[in-house]
Amino acid sequence: MSVERKMVTACIIDDDDIFIYGFKKFVEIRGVSAEILNFSNGKEAIDYLKNPFYANNLPDIIFVDINMPVMDGWEFTQNFEEIKSHMGKKISVYFISSSVDINDINRAKNNPAIEDYIMKPISETHVEDLINSYQISPGFISMN
Amino acid sequence: MSFFEGHDFFGESTAHLARLINNINTGIWEYNTTTKKAKWSDGFYAILGYHPGEIECSYHNFFENILYYHDKQIFIKATHYAGKGPAPIAQIRLLTKNNGYQWFESSALKHDDDDGQFIYGVLNNINKYKLAEFTAAQADFLSAETSRIARIGGWEIDVTSMALNMSREIYNIYELHGDVKLNVDEAISFFEPAYRPVLTKAIEDAVKYCKPYDLEVLFKTAKNNTIWVRAKGIPIIDDFGKCVTVRGVFQDIDIIKRSGISMQSSINLLDDQNKRLQNFAYIVSHNLRSHAGNLKFMVNLFEETKAENDKEEIFSHIKTISESLSATMGHLDEIVKIQSEISKERKSVSFETIFNNVIATLRANIEASKAQINADFSEVPEISYIPAYLESIFQNLLTNAIKYKHPNREPVINCYTHIHEKHIYLVFEDNGMGIDMKRFGDQLFGMYRTFHQNKDAKGIGLFITRNQVEALGGNIIVDSTVDVGTKFTVRLV
Repeated sequence: MSVERKMVTACIIDDDDIFIYGFKKFVEIRGVSAEILNFSNGKEAIDYLKNPFYANNLPDIIFVDINMPVMDGWEFTQNFEEIKSHMGKKISVYFISSSVDINDINRAKNNPAIEDYIMKPISETHVEDLINSYQISPGFISMN
Repeated sequence: MSFFEGHDFFGESTAHLARLINNINTGIWEYNTTTKKAKWSDGFYAILGYHPGEIECSYHNFFENILYYHDKQIFIKATHYAGKGPAPIAQIRLLTKNNGYQWFESSALKHDDDDGQFIYGVLNNINKYKLAEFTAAQADFLSAETSRIARIGGWEIDVTSMALNMSREIYNIYELHGDVKLNVDEAISFFEPAYRPVLTKAIEDAVKYCKPYDLEVLFKTAKNNTIWVRAKGIPIIDDFGKCVTVRGVFQDIDIIKRSGISMQSSINLLDDQNKRLQNFAYIVSHNLRSHAGNLKFMVNLFEETKAENDKEEIFSHIKTISESLSATMGHLDEIVKIQSEISKERKSVSFETIFNNVIATLRANIEASKAQINADFSEVPEISYIPAYLESIFQNLLTNAIKYKHPNREPVINCYTHIHEKHIYLVFEDNGMGIDMKRFGDQLFGMYRTFHQNKDAKGIGLFITRNQVEALGGNIIVDSTVDVGTKFTVRLV
């Protein structure tokens, strides 16, 4: 049985350079077939998503940190909700943060725009599986 | 028509009268001032607790042994009364057989006739009433004393006439002495202006809607002392449920209220400090956790990778994390130092001297940014402060102004001191990029909070500055407009 695979585009928004480096590196080391876009705050990501020039290279999945300068994770989610309908595809948003503040966690869990809250330090296998889950075409899943 | 005139009392019924005199519970006596002979009725003996004739019936016996020595003058004065009208009634103490001294009422009548000069008298036991009177007086005294000590008085408004009646103690609280009587409006006029309509409405509502009230308000006495008072009123209703009287208390609660207010401000201060500490603990743990997380992440990668040059690269990041950890520990030390230095002695320090020291250490930065710094400390040249704090405040605010300079212009920083209502202010104004106060105002002094994409931003300077200023009882106010500049007003003391 041949599984129809495609290249996943994952976007990571975090002001922590080391985390971004690590993220890209583990994707590379594990041979996950994904292209990684990275931004150091929410505003950079929104500017990218809004830019028609990149309309053909939109991410499938966005991992966004909470605490960032200029535009934090919450503000990003709010801004993203406003432009979401203009996007040519469905994009899933995950929070990825080292905050253990129960208010942050509950707020994220109760926000329908956020798929899940992933706690740092991340489990590489969890994130790998998550990215891989976007590789399988929607058609294949429905046939299963 | 009197009893005596209607019946021939003196003629036929002398025996009857004598029987009456001897049997009523009243002592009757007669004294002949010429012969010095006394006569006592049976009742006289009886009210003193004796059988008739049990004790010697003489003026001398009465005056020396039965009458309380202290009451002799009163008795003589009433007995030998020579004025017009009936003789006054004297209240005297007489020694009884079994019950010690008791109170009696004595009235006497002088009468001259052919046989000589007579005095007739009547004695009544009034001990019960007298004691009740004393108890009442004592209760009155106690209640007045209680009022005085508690600084509380009672009042009443008669709704029909709207007449106000206030107890003595209320006038004392008003510091109004002498013969004054206030009406409702006058009584309200002593309250501080802001509270007058509140009181007026409270009384109106009590009268109209039978609504009770209990207010703590500011009041100005006749001698211009402003005090906190408690004004409480309750409506008294008639059978139809209509308010006929408003009755209440009025109490001077100045001492309690003021200590309550100062307690509240201490609580607020503690609350703020608590919140800051909690925030601080949260932030430090967050920061340490993200370093620790990165460290674990890098170590995992280091183990997983086969490529030698990857290992090298990952290791360089591990070194960076180790440095960041040290830096975080350094920040922690600095914050802990704020608390430990607070107990250090304040010294008189010159703004100019501290400013020059800081300028010297920041020279490289200042020159690189071509910043123009104008300083004027002539209004307040010196302050009693912890020198290390002042130096740190200058350093952080100057560094901040240079770091966040406007991209299109060279920085101009004005720095001056200012005194207003005994408070000393240090002001920093810059023409930098400014900050959106609506969005970030409440986070400006948060730890590790950065708002611009500036690689030097660490989010620690303003956090420390605020903690130092507030640790010494001051505060910082920020005005800022994006693209125009920022003004920090630091109230030092």
